[in-house]
Amino acid sequence: MTVQAILIVAAALIGLGVYGTLSQQSIVMLMMGLELIINGVLLATVGFWSLTAAGLPEGQLLAIVAMAVMAVEMAIGFALVVAVFRRREVDMTDRLGTMSH
Amino acid sequence: MSPLGALGVTLGVLVAGVVLVGLLDALARLVLGPVPLETPDRLTLEGLRGAVRRQSLTTEHPDLAAWRLAPAAYLGLAAAGLALVPVAADRAAVDVEAGIVVWGAVESLTVIAVFLHGWSSNSLLPLLGAYRFVAIGLSVMLVSMFVLIGAALPAESLRLTAIVESQRGLWNAVRQPLGLPLFLLLGLAITLRGPMDYADSADLAGGTSAEDSGAPRLAWQFARAAMLVAFATMAATVFLGGPLGPLLPGPVWLLLKAGFVAALLVALGRLLARPDASRMLTFIWVVLLPLSFLDLAIAGLETLR
Amino acid sequence: MSWADAIFWLLAATALLAGWRVFRTDSMVRASFFLLASFIAVGAIMLMLGAAYLGFATIFMMAVEMMVMALFMVMFMMNPAGLNPMSMVHQHGLAIVAGLVTFAGLGAFALSVDLPSRPLPAGAEVTAPLGRELLGPSMLVFESAGVTLLATMICAVVLSSRSGRFGPSDAGSVPPSIDPTAQEKS
Repeated sequence: MTVQAILIVAAALIGLGVYGTLSQQSIVMLMMGLELIINGVLLATVGFWSLTAAGLPEGQLLAIVAMAVMAVEMAIGFALVVAVFRRREVDMTDRLGTMSH
Repeated sequence: MSPLGALGVTLGVLVAGVVLVGLLDALARLVLGPVPLETPDRLTLEGLRGAVRRQSLTTEHPDLAAWRLAPAAYLGLAAAGLALVPVAADRAAVDVEAGIVVWGAVESLTVIAVFLHGWSSNSLLPLLGAYRFVAIGLSVMLVSMFVLIGAALPAESLRLTAIVESQRGLWNAVRQPLGLPLFLLLGLAITLRGPMDYADSADLAGGTSAEDSGAPRLAWQFARAAMLVAFATMAATVFLGGPLGPLLPGPVWLLLKAGFVAALLVALGRLLARPDASRMLTFIWVVLLPLSFLDLAIAGLETLR
Repeated sequence: MSWADAIFWLLAATALLAGWRVFRTDSMVRASFFLLASFIAVGAIMLMLGAAYLGFATIFMMAVEMMVMALFMVMFMMNPAGLNPMSMVHQHGLAIVAGLVTFAGLGAFALSVDLPSRPLPAGAEVTAPLGRELLGPSMLVFESAGVTLLATMICAVVLSSRSGRFGPSDAGSVPPSIDPTAQEKS
């Protein structure tokens, strides 16, 4: 369980998350992709903290900040999905064209 | 004790506890009368015979993997919760640095197990039971986490052995009076009893268990009783001092206190009425959550002095 | 390969496979719980690395989040129970390439950089130093996170509440009276 192995796994999770975020049409599935990205970041953070930083407390703090980011992203994401669906009855990214030029 | 030995003891205590819960339920039926509209095949000898004889039916297009996984997950979570509890003042089957957080994880995964049980049978009434329970369960879980943090404050640690140690002078149930009642409400919720039984209630014809039959039905009832055992020992540890007490050895005290909490929960499950789900939700967020903040503030002031 | 390494690779494989299955499964509830399985595997790896509090807190938080996610998936996806096969992807090729490039780039960084080796001391307490750090030197970060979460809660309620900019949408309406023969008052 070297730090390189953990970073490879974290990179794979992030890559999987990027694939999910870019490929999914539905907004909630896109959020699943974002969750996977932050999952990978969390694993990398704890890997660095445990194996290269000798348990520095700031490492755990960064992990907690990543978890807070996850919570915020999910809450705002779901609120936006609900608000958009109420206005326009759409829940897919392709139909939300007003922000593109 | 070796890990395998600890596992064996935990499972043995779990099975013995489930038998005790069945006896408590039978006593409640004797004293308070039968539960109105209760479906048969609860945890009785008759239920056992029924489970062995009857076939287990399935519905159309169920999520069979999740349906069979749900009682196993519920039972596994109960065993995990029981393994955390210290049986002597400094020993537990699994002594982790953040024991309270593990119990929190057990609570939230229990909500998922009940939801899966209701969702996976592809039927209306179980689905309603699952949805109602998720709303109530997640809310009352927040209440319980604040109450548990309050119990961890005098110990200055999240470790359950430290929490037990901090109650040598005075039990947490006495110096944090709001803690145990609020925690008991969570117990009613995760064991699907009485006023918090929004998942398996009679007004949904058995709720998430409505389509269960045969051995899986017995497995679900067994897992519910097992979760009651785990919860009772956890409440006895965190609020009633666990293995601490004069004269008798530690494990005996723990069993007595856990038995008391289990009897209390069975009684409360029979005696309290269940309000409408939306009213209960409002009550939890508007009354119980501020009360849990008050409990936390009391615990904090106590610790700062 | 020691037991610890074997368990680590098993958990890593579980995390990646479950993460992959999130985007391949038809049933939406299963998708959310596959993501939960991925998070639980990562939480278990964090426990193996010695982060006792963080590992269990991850599992705890992710269980609640994925439960809510499952409810939203059922609300907004057209095929929640997975009774029909479906695939809702766009720019699939670009997404695959982007994912692979990300993985390759980050993996190359992991393998090429000379990272120091300062492992966690065995038997060290990790929760108490975290608590002291949160409420001591990093109090500002902690409080900012708290206020951000409060802002998020308010924002989520505002975005999803029924009343729009001009007041509640059913303002001024009255429910029908119980007595069907009563005259309508204008």
